Amino acid sequence: MSAFIVPKTRKYPVYSRVMGPDSAPGQTVPWRKVLWEPQPYPDNYVDHHFLEELRRNEGIRQYRYWAVVKEAGFVGQQMSSVAIFLTLWLYMEQGLLAPGTLLWSSLVCALLGYGLHQVLTPQTELCSHPRTHLADLQSAAIFLSFTFGFSPVLKTLTESVSTDTVYAMSAVMLLAHLVAFPYAQPSPPGSLSLNAALFASVCLASRLPGSLHTFAMLSCALLVFALWPCLLQRLRENAPGHFPGACVGVCIGGVGGLGSQSVGGALLLFLALASVTFLCPLLLVRLQRHKDNIHGPWDEAEIHEDLSRLLG
Amino acid sequence: MVLKIFFPQCCNLADSGLLVGRWIPGHDSAVVLAVIHYPFIPAQVKQYIQQIQRQSGEELAVLGSWSLPKESQEGMESFLRDLSTIFPQERWLQISRKMGKMGFTCQILSRSQRAAGEEREKQSRSEEDGEEEEEKEKVVFVHYDQKKVMLSRLHPVHMEDTQTAAASELRQVFQTVARSQPLFLLDRYDDGPLRSTHWQTEGREGSILVELLKRASVPLCLLLSWPMSIWTRFCRLRIFRIFPLSVLSSKLSTCIQLSHRSEHMRSISAPGAASSHIEFTRKANTVVSVLVDVALGILLMTWLYRDEHVATLASALVPAADRVATELEQLLQWLMGAPAGLKMNRALDQVLGRFFLYHIHLWISYIHLLSPSVEQILWYGGLSAGLGLTFALSLLSDMVALLTFHIYCFYVYGARLYCMKVYGLSSLWRLFRGKKWNVLRQRVDSCSYDLDQLFIGMLLFTILLFLLPTTALYYLVFTLLRLVVVLFQGVLHLSVDFINSFPLFALGQRICQPYRLAEGVKFRVLCEEPGSALHLLMEINPLSCSAVVQTYRTPASSCYPRDSWAALVRKLFVGELVYPWRRKSSKAD
Repeated sequence: MSAFIVPKTRKYPVYSRVMGPDSAPGQTVPWRKVLWEPQPYPDNYVDHHFLEELRRNEGIRQYRYWAVVKEAGFVGQQMSSVAIFLTLWLYMEQGLLAPGTLLWSSLVCALLGYGLHQVLTPQTELCSHPRTHLADLQSAAIFLSFTFGFSPVLKTLTESVSTDTVYAMSAVMLLAHLVAFPYAQPSPPGSLSLNAALFASVCLASRLPGSLHTFAMLSCALLVFALWPCLLQRLRENAPGHFPGACVGVCIGGVGGLGSQSVGGALLLFLALASVTFLCPLLLVRLQRHKDNIHGPWDEAEIHEDLSRLLG
Repeated sequence: MVLKIFFPQCCNLADSGLLVGRWIPGHDSAVVLAVIHYPFIPAQVKQYIQQIQRQSGEELAVLGSWSLPKESQEGMESFLRDLSTIFPQERWLQISRKMGKMGFTCQILSRSQRAAGEEREKQSRSEEDGEEEEEKEKVVFVHYDQKKVMLSRLHPVHMEDTQTAAASELRQVFQTVARSQPLFLLDRYDDGPLRSTHWQTEGREGSILVELLKRASVPLCLLLSWPMSIWTRFCRLRIFRIFPLSVLSSKLSTCIQLSHRSEHMRSISAPGAASSHIEFTRKANTVVSVLVDVALGILLMTWLYRDEHVATLASALVPAADRVATELEQLLQWLMGAPAGLKMNRALDQVLGRFFLYHIHLWISYIHLLSPSVEQILWYGGLSAGLGLTFALSLLSDMVALLTFHIYCFYVYGARLYCMKVYGLSSLWRLFRGKKWNVLRQRVDSCSYDLDQLFIGMLLFTILLFLLPTTALYYLVFTLLRLVVVLFQGVLHLSVDFINSFPLFALGQRICQPYRLAEGVKFRVLCEEPGSALHLLMEINPLSCSAVVQTYRTPASSCYPRDSWAALVRKLFVGELVYPWRRKSSKAD
């Protein structure tokens, strides 16, 4: 048996001379890519169509640097808000900030934020999801009363636990908060991230000297971790031009606040922000070049169900 | 084909005569019950056999002839052969024995052969004529002790309602001998027309005590049933169904023991003899256990009321209760500090500690209030030992339960608190992760919570988590105390149940007359002479003691652990209330 391998330039099917027992020399059989019919070729025979269906890097997105930077700003912003919270806590612990001051300023910020939130809500959404002011007031009243009622209990919670343990727990929980945060859609707050942040804030707040301090700290935590992301989401959706400005503002606030307490911390935060906001997108865009995915008909089939036809 | 002939040992040296017995249906065997001697009138023999058949209900028949020729009796062979024509049977056995020789010889004549007039002797001399060995019917003689087999019961005892051939051969042999008791009433001192040999030929055996007991049992039962009926009517009064009394009577072990004993007495005093062997043994067991119980109780009473023991006990009781309370107070003070170096939440610690201390204070005041009348209570309580040791033990258990009621209360409080905490924590932990328990599907599902739910849930979770060590420690301490008390009570209950249900009568029977409770038989080769039949001795294998106890235990309320170890540990861990002993009360069948 002799097989001729035709060079790639030719486009007509291959003929091969087969000296079989029942075929006269010169008869040619075109090779087909099937295995359920006996063919005079070996099973692993391939012709020049081999790997024609290979597709490389199909469906990869082209990232643009500054767009990625803008999105990464959100991550940096969240880190900075955690830093702001920690700053406030440090001030309270050292007695430099009175709880009354914190409470009043939190109230003012809350009202401002609420007003902004209402302004930014488009009309259509207001009509389809009517959440009255009364319901909001009710929620706020529940929060405040519960926190105020429980703050004496909360204050004594970690009395018997050593300081190192408390700091370690809080650090772990805040890290979990940052990792689990739903950056894509922060408006319904992710359970794990919010719970971790609140747990850390309770742990830290119980270290403060008085129960009013605890109450103030918890209200501040609520503001920073629960309400601020909702406002930010609203901003991102409806006023996309101002969104990066807000992020930058928060970052500067975070670095500045931390700097007033400890320069080393501020430096660390600055480095982290810089790497997250500028370095990582750069890496992402640069390393896209080296991406080398190959796709072909050998991939597993993905079923894209189109359910809309079922819904009529 | 091997023909088994069960031959009583008492007839080994009997005079020649007719063999009376029964062919076992379904098996190739026969039981010889007695030998009726010459001279006799065949009509009288037939009449006698029919009479015995009516009385016993067994199908008796004349099996064949037995000849043990003495010096003066010769030429019996033809006489014996002629006998076979008088008593028509399917098969006729001719067993003979020579004095001085151990083995028997047996000739089996079938009806067809006898009718044809010729006899084809099927002997068991195998080595005589070696060529013609067509159907050699081998015969095996199994010797048995008639008295023992008559009195014994083969275990496991089935309900004796059928005489089906499905019963095994051995069981049918035992049944036949047991039922043929009317046959053994004819002894040699009777002036009847027939003379027979069986185990009671030398005279009927009887024991005066047994006869007296049998005669006295009926009037005693009547005497007992009269107060029992009054007591039963009293117990059925409506007043005992009302809520507090019914709960009390189901919880106090004295009341439970009282109801058991009355149940037992009712079963003893029931008119009518025991229908089956098992029922008789159970009744006997109950009687013996009641007697032993009362004897032990009276012993206790004599010890208690002598030498002012009651007063000593009473004067030791109140200081003991005081001591317990002081120890508990010290324990609580230790818990309120920093027990074992653990860091407790101070506020909660103080709250719980003060609460329990107040409880103990209340309890001590109550005990001091009771202290003047403790001696009286003990004196009257000791009287209950006259009813039986079990009553005294039950009363002791109840008194212990009453005296340690505060420990029980503490345990319940601690367990409830801990259980709520664990439940709340597990639910809030699910909230922490953003999940929820789906009651419909019995699984954990994800759930999107509102902001306020998350916030409040988080606060509560933190609070519960940090307060957990304190609660857990209190729970642990009180659970251990409660378990100690429960253990002590359990020991008391177990001993009460032991006295109630242990089959002393059956065990006594097993020790003194082991042949009465048979598990099976064993065979010993008596004589194996070449040329004669095989002789085996059947000896009764008595039931093992553990099997006796198991079979004849009175199914009284047995107190056994409700949960396995794993389930108990899991309940303790979660904080569910444990009641480790469960009382299973079932009626005796």
